[in-house]
Amino acid sequence: MSDQDLVVETVRDILSGFEPFVLTAQRPWDAGLWGALAEAGLTGVGLPEEQGGSGGELADAVAIVRTLAAGAAAVPAAEQLLVAGPALVAADLALPPVEEPLTFAVGEAVTVHASDDGDGPGRFTLTGTVADVAWSGAATHLAVLAAGAAGAVLALADVSGIDVTTAVNLAGEPRGSLVLEDVAATGALLTPVQVEELKARFALARAVQLAAGLEQVLAWTVQYAGERVQFGRPLGKFQAIQMELAEMAGEVTAVTALTDAAVQALGRGSDDVVLAAAAAKVRAGAAVEVVARLAHQVHGAIGFTQEHKLHHLTRRLWSWRDEAGSELYWSRVLAQGLLAGGADGLWPALTRVV
Amino acid sequence: MSSNSLTLAPAPPSEAAERVRAEVRDFLAAELAAGSFTTHVDTWLSGVDPAFSKKLGERGWLGMTWPKKYGGHERSAMERYAVTEELLAAGAPVAAHWIADRQSGPNLLTYGTEKQRQEILPRIAAGECFFVIGMSEPDSGSDLASIRTRAARNADGDWVVNGAKVWTSNAHTSHYGIVLVRTAPSDPAHRHAGMSQLLVDLSLPGITVNPIRILDGGHHFNEVVFDDVVVPGDMLLGEEGNGWHQVTAELAFERSGPERFLSTYPLVAEFARRVAVTGDPAGQATLGRISARLLALRQMSLRIAAALDRGELPNIPAALVKDVGTTFEGDVIEEIRRVVDVTPSLDSPDPLGRALAEAQLHAPGYTLRGGTNEILRGIVARGLGLR
Repeated sequence: MSDQDLVVETVRDILSGFEPFVLTAQRPWDAGLWGALAEAGLTGVGLPEEQGGSGGELADAVAIVRTLAAGAAAVPAAEQLLVAGPALVAADLALPPVEEPLTFAVGEAVTVHASDDGDGPGRFTLTGTVADVAWSGAATHLAVLAAGAAGAVLALADVSGIDVTTAVNLAGEPRGSLVLEDVAATGALLTPVQVEELKARFALARAVQLAAGLEQVLAWTVQYAGERVQFGRPLGKFQAIQMELAEMAGEVTAVTALTDAAVQALGRGSDDVVLAAAAAKVRAGAAVEVVARLAHQVHGAIGFTQEHKLHHLTRRLWSWRDEAGSELYWSRVLAQGLLAGGADGLWPALTRVV
Repeated sequence: MSSNSLTLAPAPPSEAAERVRAEVRDFLAAELAAGSFTTHVDTWLSGVDPAFSKKLGERGWLGMTWPKKYGGHERSAMERYAVTEELLAAGAPVAAHWIADRQSGPNLLTYGTEKQRQEILPRIAAGECFFVIGMSEPDSGSDLASIRTRAARNADGDWVVNGAKVWTSNAHTSHYGIVLVRTAPSDPAHRHAGMSQLLVDLSLPGITVNPIRILDGGHHFNEVVFDDVVVPGDMLLGEEGNGWHQVTAELAFERSGPERFLSTYPLVAEFARRVAVTGDPAGQATLGRISARLLALRQMSLRIAAALDRGELPNIPAALVKDVGTTFEGDVIEEIRRVVDVTPSLDSPDPLGRALAEAQLHAPGYTLRGGTNEILRGIVARGLGLR
């Protein structure tokens, strides 16, 4: 059994006590699940122990995020373990306690100013509105990519007391805005390359979630087709249904293969990580159309209700594919990157990226 | 060992593959500069050039994974993968040797007699001996077990073959066929029993090769008619009655390679040249989407190459790659034509117009050859536990 298998088993054990639920304004996230994960040290995996994390590899953190995504867990694990946490560590910024939920947002309309609070360099104030903040209202800390006079700044602020607008994605996950007015933050300047890599990390985190969600939706649909009997036999015995399930399997396999490769590219610090992440995000997003559509088609009317579990993942898939940069954005980033060496460099680039 | 799992482990990086990739790239650049070939779409069907195949053989790029004692080079499937995908991406003329190198050789290695291997494999590896697939028949397409071409032993112990095979790519330029025949009458209770594979010299008396033209007028397909063809008794391949099993084993090689998603890559490359010049945002988005799909297919196919290196025969993942890959090959035509103002024509002065025309006129074949996508999805459904 690999280290990741052990991690996955632990997360599954915890998840078994927390069924997915319909997110509402009253209950917009799963605080109980987060607490249980934190107690088990899982909210600090992949982050260095000397900074309050639990240690472990990127692969461990990815395994946790995948398992939670497949379980439609309403917690900011992808944001904390794969994006904000590692980005803060890389920028030499102190992590908030890993028990407290930390999220990430691109805040292009947020400006940072060097603080005059007398605490020296690395202290900033943040002003402006951050839109589409994952787990707004739930996360107590925000790592935000903001605009400074000398370039982009990765800033970390305690946002627990800040009002948020109510907005949710298609799955009901909080995606509200935070209006920041002279909010105190720590921060570090990023180079343009670091900015692109951070955005790519965010996209790759969503791709990892998408891959896991797609795999689970396929598994649910195969299981349902084996159980649901019509015309005297299980749906899965009909060729028309078999063709649909096989098409779903093709999409899922493609997404998994590319996402795994992009995660490996991130893990080895590849110069092409932005393009690898862009490709994974675009490919995973494209698979959502096929997999979610056919999953609902096979499930029939029951899958179109909140009574059945299917929507916990299909609504997330429809949401995640357009988050952390749209398909349009990342497909253009990918094309421009692949053509950076001229059109004749396309093939060499394709064989290099992953 | 056969793997029924849909998902394979990631392919480990191969420095040897990257080294040979660079060599092939240099070779292709020199050949293109010298005008020894021009780039076309779908050249593993239509690009027959025995002289080019011989050059590949001289460089050790055919029979790469086979034992040295049979003219092979004992290199990994990952290295072979790199060579084949470089050739396909360049649209190089690889059709002459493609079948022999891809599946006939491996089939001979597994099932051939020592004499068969020693006589034939070194010639394939040298790029001098070409093969055809003898599976489909006029009345047997997807239902391969319904074939009627039959072979019976005569008094001398030789095989007398009667029947016909179709869609036989490049039979008019090839030397041998591995022909699936009935050696026992068909038994409805055991449909897959009673078939055998014969190694047939295509120059034997009684063999007639009739051209069948595809949509662009090209002559690649043939009907091959066997009229009392006497095949020497020692040209049985493998075991009598084991033909179905042997054919199935061949398919992991036939279905998983980069030719199942790169047939229209030369069109993508031409499109990229256009996008690089115009900077059209819609074109960039399209190129990005196409590239993401292609990158995923490479990873899927590389995983199969790595599985072959581990000695596995991943038939179900191979079926999956071919289904997703050949669908992609056709989709790129639609994706591209939606964002360029180009009329496809084989006579177009615009290379993009020519590439679109070639890709379009070959398109119906992508999702048929080597097992229709419907058959492949049936295999995948079995892998999902539905059959």
